[in-house]
Amino acid sequence: MKRRNLILNIVLILLVAVFTIYAQKNMDAYKLRILNLCAIYTILGLSMNLINGFTGQFSLGHAGFMAIGAYTTALLTMKIEFKEQIFYMKPLIYPLNSISMPFLPSLLIAGFLSALVGYMIGAPALRLKGDYLAIATLGFAEIIRVIITNAQSVTNGALGIKMIPTYTNLYWSFGFAVLTVVFMFLLINSSYGRAFKAIREDEIAAENMGINLYKHKMMSFVIGAFLAGLGGGLLGNLLGTIDPSMFKFVLTFNILLIIVLGGMGSISGTVISAFIITILGEVLRFLDKPMNLGFIKTPGIPGLRMVVFSLLLMIVVLFFRDGLMGTRELSWDSIQNVFVKFRKLVGKGGVKNESFEG
Amino acid sequence: MKKIVAAVLSIAMAASLMAGCSKQTQSENNDVIKIGVFEPMTGANAAGGQLEVEGAKLANKLYPEVLGKKVELVIMDNKSDKVEAASAAARLVEQEKVNAIIGSWGSSLSMAAGDIVKNAKVPAVGASCTNPLVTKGNDYYFRVCFIDPFQGTVMANYAFQKLNAKKAAIIQEVSNDYAVGLSKYFQDEFKKLTGDENSIVAIANYNTGDQDFSAQLTTLKDKNPDVIFAPGNFTESALIIKQARQLGIKAPFIGGDTWETPEFIKIGGKDVEGAVFSTHFTAEKPITKESEKFLAEFKKEYNKEPAAVSALGYDAYLVILDAIKRANSTDSDKIREAIAQTNGFEGAAGMITLNQDGDAVKNAVINVVKDGKFTYLDTVEPKK
Repeated sequence: MKRRNLILNIVLILLVAVFTIYAQKNMDAYKLRILNLCAIYTILGLSMNLINGFTGQFSLGHAGFMAIGAYTTALLTMKIEFKEQIFYMKPLIYPLNSISMPFLPSLLIAGFLSALVGYMIGAPALRLKGDYLAIATLGFAEIIRVIITNAQSVTNGALGIKMIPTYTNLYWSFGFAVLTVVFMFLLINSSYGRAFKAIREDEIAAENMGINLYKHKMMSFVIGAFLAGLGGGLLGNLLGTIDPSMFKFVLTFNILLIIVLGGMGSISGTVISAFIITILGEVLRFLDKPMNLGFIKTPGIPGLRMVVFSLLLMIVVLFFRDGLMGTRELSWDSIQNVFVKFRKLVGKGGVKNESFEG
Repeated sequence: MKKIVAAVLSIAMAASLMAGCSKQTQSENNDVIKIGVFEPMTGANAAGGQLEVEGAKLANKLYPEVLGKKVELVIMDNKSDKVEAASAAARLVEQEKVNAIIGSWGSSLSMAAGDIVKNAKVPAVGASCTNPLVTKGNDYYFRVCFIDPFQGTVMANYAFQKLNAKKAAIIQEVSNDYAVGLSKYFQDEFKKLTGDENSIVAIANYNTGDQDFSAQLTTLKDKNPDVIFAPGNFTESALIIKQARQLGIKAPFIGGDTWETPEFIKIGGKDVEGAVFSTHFTAEKPITKESEKFLAEFKKEYNKEPAAVSALGYDAYLVILDAIKRANSTDSDKIREAIAQTNGFEGAAGMITLNQDGDAVKNAVINVVKDGKFTYLDTVEPKK
């Protein structure tokens, strides 16, 4: 059984790789952009789910970590001559003004810097619990944004940065998304992962079992911050331009929406919901346009598609507390079970399976 | 119960997917010229976006045809969100196959579309995005408004020449690219005019959404400036002026075009009387023949006074249409060429000449608040 699952997993990853190569070569810029966003939101959703869903620490500081990641990557990858043009009000400080690096090291530095800030924020904040932690992390995210707004000689302040090389393509975004998913599966199924879940279920019981609460919370927080920084970097280099107002609380909320709908504490749920929400947001654009329903003509109501998400969130919170997947995972065994059940159901209905195949 | 809800939901989702698909495949009509409008219709900047769309829609109604083909506006909401703005622009370019784009209110949203229009080689004309970075290094982005540096210089000149100010103080909305830009060029020009490096006596910062400005204003008061330049959002600016008067600051306040909203007067009340600001357009004194037409038609269509950004949205449409006419083609590259050559075009908000960066060189209007109304004061011509 295990062997079969391993083979299937490898096949799946290969399929994703083939799809990525095909899509990157054949799809238009719009579809590519949406797919890139799907992958980036997957990374961001997973990083937030690690902290909020698996470890049960209600943190709302994601926009801040993303801002650090995006700015670091942008400043490191930008071409030197563009830096002079963009920083026309206050020149960029040394040594940033003479650095231009490839994408991968910039992304990793962005992730590590974000993790470092996560460590510094986590050290005091993780002593708090529940709502208090949420408020503290939210505050820290705002502080990061205000610092970025005011540090004009590093970040160009409110003017924002443009001409960031748009390195992000499907190879980068899907590559990192797959790596993140694999890493998360390995982490969650390791002893650390079980410790995270134990903390989520009951902190006192977990501590009694000999789990170092502070160490594990910190670990989850720092890994989450690293991934958020990475995702932020990918996002910045996808857009080609960033500014501080991008990293407001709404951004954190978007990711929170993904993990709540997908299921707090489910990796596959987060992946599915990141894709569905990103694609649905674009597909539903027709709702904003004037509609002709045959018997009634409506004028274009901008924002109607947002109502769909609000409704979805309300329905999920009221009727399906656990979201799409809850804490369950989509695995090969569960898919097999569904097939078995389906067969039984069909069998009961008096139709034989063979007739389908024959 | 749950199962039923789940089933209904999934059917609704599936249906919406189908509906989305069918929409995209229809109307691949070559007899229609499509102009995309990407504007914030929802979110924080919705008010501004709506005004621009009103202008563009009116222009489309008055001038619905070019080269014998119908012009269709494709309006796309960008949610006042940078990520969304990029997607909306990409959608206009790739899915709707527009020939040109208008937009967007908010320079940062326009910048998000910059790379997309550049790569797709579709020209975009911004209406009121004043950040110099929007068009910088991008041959496919233009705008029909003047940029922050010009506005800052205009107000510095006004302060120096008309108000005889020798010392100026600045209170700026530091989280707003527009305010920071204006403030920078005001400082440069004012220092040059007075010939005094220390003529800017104080610079105070505040953030969007702040309510209490007493700390900043107290510092300004101590320096006793002749004039206070306060570029920023209208709500905060009105509150600043109000609180300044309460603190006994008598110096006149001057600002930029963001003040031109009814809310500014509503919040500021009597205290904003005499506040002077530069803007793109005035409803009081038609600048061109096109302005007269615009003013009359706008009142007829929407039954209200037009805002400056509506006039700019209107102009953006006309500039594109004019370019299509001159290019005598719907090819995006040829339209781009023609837009770049726009010279002395008569728009509703003044004559438009685009310089090599793609920025409009045009007159600025100076307005003052008088008897609870915006009143025309002066017109300033661009240098060169």
